[in-house]
Amino acid sequence: MKSPAALALLPRWPGWKHLPREARDTLFLLAVIGWTVMPHLSHLPWWCTALATLVMLWRGRIALTNAPLPSRWLVVGVVLAASALTVMTEHTLLGKEAGVTMLVLLMVLKTLELRARRDALVIFFLGFFLVLTNFLYSQTLAVAAAMLVSVWGLLTALVLAHMPVGQPMIRQAGGLAARAALLGAPVMVVLFLLFPRIGPLWGLPQDAGAKTGLSGELRMGSIAELAIDESIAFRLKFDGPVPPAEALYFRGPVLERFDGVEWRQRDLLTLSFALLDAELRVQGDPVGYEMTLEPSRMNLLPLLDATPDAAAAAPRIPGLRTLQHADLHWTTDRPVTDRLRFHVQAWTRFEHGPRRGVMALREDLELPPGYNPRTLAWAAQLRNDPRYANASPEVLAGAVLQYIRQGGFVYTLAPGEYGANAVDEFWLDRRRGFCEHFAAAFVVVMRALDVPARIVTGYQGTDRAPTDGYWIVRQSHAHAWAEYWQPGRGWVRADPTAAVAPDRIERSRHLAPQPGLVAQALGNWSPELLTQLRKSWEAVNNRWNQWVLGYSQKQQLSLLERLGVQSPNWEDLSLMLIGLLSTGALVGACWAWWDRHRQDPWQRLLGGVRQRLRKLGIDAQPHHAPRTLAAAVRQQLGAPGEALAARLEELDRVRYGPAARARPQAGWWRQFAAEAARLRSG
Amino acid sequence: MNPIARRWRAWWLARHPLSDNWTLTQGNIYIVPTRAGFVYALTLMVMLLASINYQLNLGYVLTFLLAGSGLMSMHLTHRTLRGLTLHLRPPQPVFAGEAAPLEIVVHSAGRRSHGIGLCVQEEGVPYDEVPWVWIDVPAAGQATAHLSFVPPARGLHAVPVLRAETRYPFGLFRAWTLWRPASQVLAYPAPERPAAALPPAHAVGGEALQSRASEGGELEGVRAYQRGDTLRRIVWKKVARAGELVSRDTRIATQQELWLDYQGTQLPDPEARLSRLAAWVLAAERAGIAHGLRLPGVELPPDQGEPHQRAALRALALWAPAR
Repeated sequence: MKSPAALALLPRWPGWKHLPREARDTLFLLAVIGWTVMPHLSHLPWWCTALATLVMLWRGRIALTNAPLPSRWLVVGVVLAASALTVMTEHTLLGKEAGVTMLVLLMVLKTLELRARRDALVIFFLGFFLVLTNFLYSQTLAVAAAMLVSVWGLLTALVLAHMPVGQPMIRQAGGLAARAALLGAPVMVVLFLLFPRIGPLWGLPQDAGAKTGLSGELRMGSIAELAIDESIAFRLKFDGPVPPAEALYFRGPVLERFDGVEWRQRDLLTLSFALLDAELRVQGDPVGYEMTLEPSRMNLLPLLDATPDAAAAAPRIPGLRTLQHADLHWTTDRPVTDRLRFHVQAWTRFEHGPRRGVMALREDLELPPGYNPRTLAWAAQLRNDPRYANASPEVLAGAVLQYIRQGGFVYTLAPGEYGANAVDEFWLDRRRGFCEHFAAAFVVVMRALDVPARIVTGYQGTDRAPTDGYWIVRQSHAHAWAEYWQPGRGWVRADPTAAVAPDRIERSRHLAPQPGLVAQALGNWSPELLTQLRKSWEAVNNRWNQWVLGYSQKQQLSLLERLGVQSPNWEDLSLMLIGLLSTGALVGACWAWWDRHRQDPWQRLLGGVRQRLRKLGIDAQPHHAPRTLAAAVRQQLGAPGEALAARLEELDRVRYGPAARARPQAGWWRQFAAEAARLRSG
Repeated sequence: MNPIARRWRAWWLARHPLSDNWTLTQGNIYIVPTRAGFVYALTLMVMLLASINYQLNLGYVLTFLLAGSGLMSMHLTHRTLRGLTLHLRPPQPVFAGEAAPLEIVVHSAGRRSHGIGLCVQEEGVPYDEVPWVWIDVPAAGQATAHLSFVPPARGLHAVPVLRAETRYPFGLFRAWTLWRPASQVLAYPAPERPAAALPPAHAVGGEALQSRASEGGELEGVRAYQRGDTLRRIVWKKVARAGELVSRDTRIATQQELWLDYQGTQLPDPEARLSRLAAWVLAAERAGIAHGLRLPGVELPPDQGEPHQRAALRALALWAPAR
């Protein structure tokens, strides 16, 4: 981050210990802000990253040189410019991406106006919000740990801001922040367990949904993000034998519209009003299975192809309405925010779609003008080949798949960036890509050959072995394949990826991304250890997913049930929460009440001494030092009191002598009390 | 301030006994959320809404962790003050209109207390402009804070209500206590400025004699330094010249008598007269002239020295016209 030029601009580093307090606190806060912003860097626009880095370096320089802060107008100007840039890159100021961009900039720019304590507080509150936004992108264990550090740092800076005297150590403030957080942890646990989980309060903005899963749109590169996401999409338990891997296609949105860059679904209107009929014709025996769907925050039900909308087969989910679209994919009427479990029947042998050409198929022939001219020329050449003069779509598809198989195509998750004519580049030049490239190119070529074709997105395959009887499908199993229309038969599935990487389909081994440097080194040195580590890591991650990320209303209610509440509902939850919090408050109040009786040990000791002496008839007052009391003892009790007086003088020497200890040796009090008791009885 | 608020305030303050030692316990510490605390609560509400809407379980964790820490900070803030003992050292007399220093010793029985602000509670001062004095109190130790207040007029003034406040650790809550010290500050009349010339001194025999000292000229008599002579009496100019200590021979001065008389001030306003008298007392003392003070109903025989000056000023401070 620091180039030599930037270093030359930086003032001499005086050493952490010799920094003035103000500078040290500011640098600490900047470090915390930097740490919090870091996870965002991957998805912030480049200019935002650059601006934030620049501003933070500048602020650090100001802190070190003790230079004056820039004028307010300059900061306002930069904020306006940043807003304009945000609108330019994100096309809005609202929404997730634009919001995070603005939040990062505001936070960083606010450091330039760090004058009064009030400014500092604004930074802390923005900071907490920034921590939250990190969870919009990822809720993994690593992110949680990193953000815990952020919260600790922000709280520490907050404590430092409230230590106005001297130069308190950061360690001291950090310890207190950690202690406050630890003390707050029980409250957090109770609230987390019992705060009633409710669905989203209002419709989410467009970009909120597809954190994971299929989004219903396809643009080169979008499935690549899913391909490295190992989180679980759903689990399956089959009633009977498990169908072969190459039959396990779970259908998601079907993409029929292509504008040259992006593939989209047909109008939802056409889909849901069933202007088109699915015309599903199943053959053979059904496959019954139970699906446990993880909350995806989307409407999609990725059911096994093909699941008919029939009484026995269709999914029945309480509280949700399910709907089969004309393109055979299933959705729910609202986003899935809870883990769902339901039973479905599917037929892996089926035909569907119109047998004879209908108007609606026209849309599956459209290609945007001006895009991919070389691929179109390639297709025209194939069509003009006398061998395929009157060939059926099936034969043409075979020829295209043959080209893929023999054309030196490589299946890779890292194909690099593609330009505007992505299909031209892929099909004729680079020939490197994964499922979405193959499916998109296949569909473009088929359409160019005058065969209606479309992309189907979904999941393909499962983990190789079941876990506890469940077959696990992960986000990395996301897949895109194609369908072309064959007169008399309807839509026919064609998976061009299988043509180049049959392994991907038959054994459903998804491509793992390149391991990191450390993993590589470790793998070379001790593969067993690497496997072991990976396994434990996965186990920890699984717990995390299950207990923290997967904790929902269902788990809340089952927790109550285990605690003995019969048929619990959310009112029980609220009552329990209120009860526990009230008890906590009461305990806190009692503790404070008890605490007021706590005293300095020395004062407590003297109090006890005075009480014993008063019983002996000596007028011991709070302002009397032990030696004064000793003199009084000698005067009033004479020789018998000599031992007691000696004890008191010893106490005086301990406290006020050269040792100046706060407390006498253990056993002093016992001797003193015994002596006093002897004098009383004697 | 409207009358109801004033009465409420008076009643509230009357709950606090007058004492020079003020031990802070649950009974006399008040605590409310600060504006920052309310903004924090608002931030948490927004974060909770975001967590609900985006169904972020980690968002819930974060929000609840911050809520718990904020709640605990209330106890920590309260605890910062609890167990402290405030003690006011006896304040020294000052002239009216000058700042009277108040030395406050804060003693902590147990733990270390950070960020304790002390101030003189004054009405009508906006909260942001209160001149706080911040101290840290070490564990089982003490720290001293120096405050000041300006007595507006002569006389005995009760030390105004003092306030000790803390926002440590997070600034979400502020805990404070109000303390009415029992001590009083004696304010002498503000000396007249510029001071009028001293009235003529009379020799003990009765003959009028102009004070030479006020002219700044050479003094009439000097003698060798004797043990017990005050530093003020040493004639430093001669010491520099002669190389040995030389004291002013005050026999001549003591033979003069200067009566500072209320009637002799020739001013209409009684307070102005007292101010002039105060200035004269200071001038006479500076000049080393024995001076007596005559007020209606009060008479101090002529004398000289620190105790006499104090007694004179005290008489001026406390004098009340007979009714």
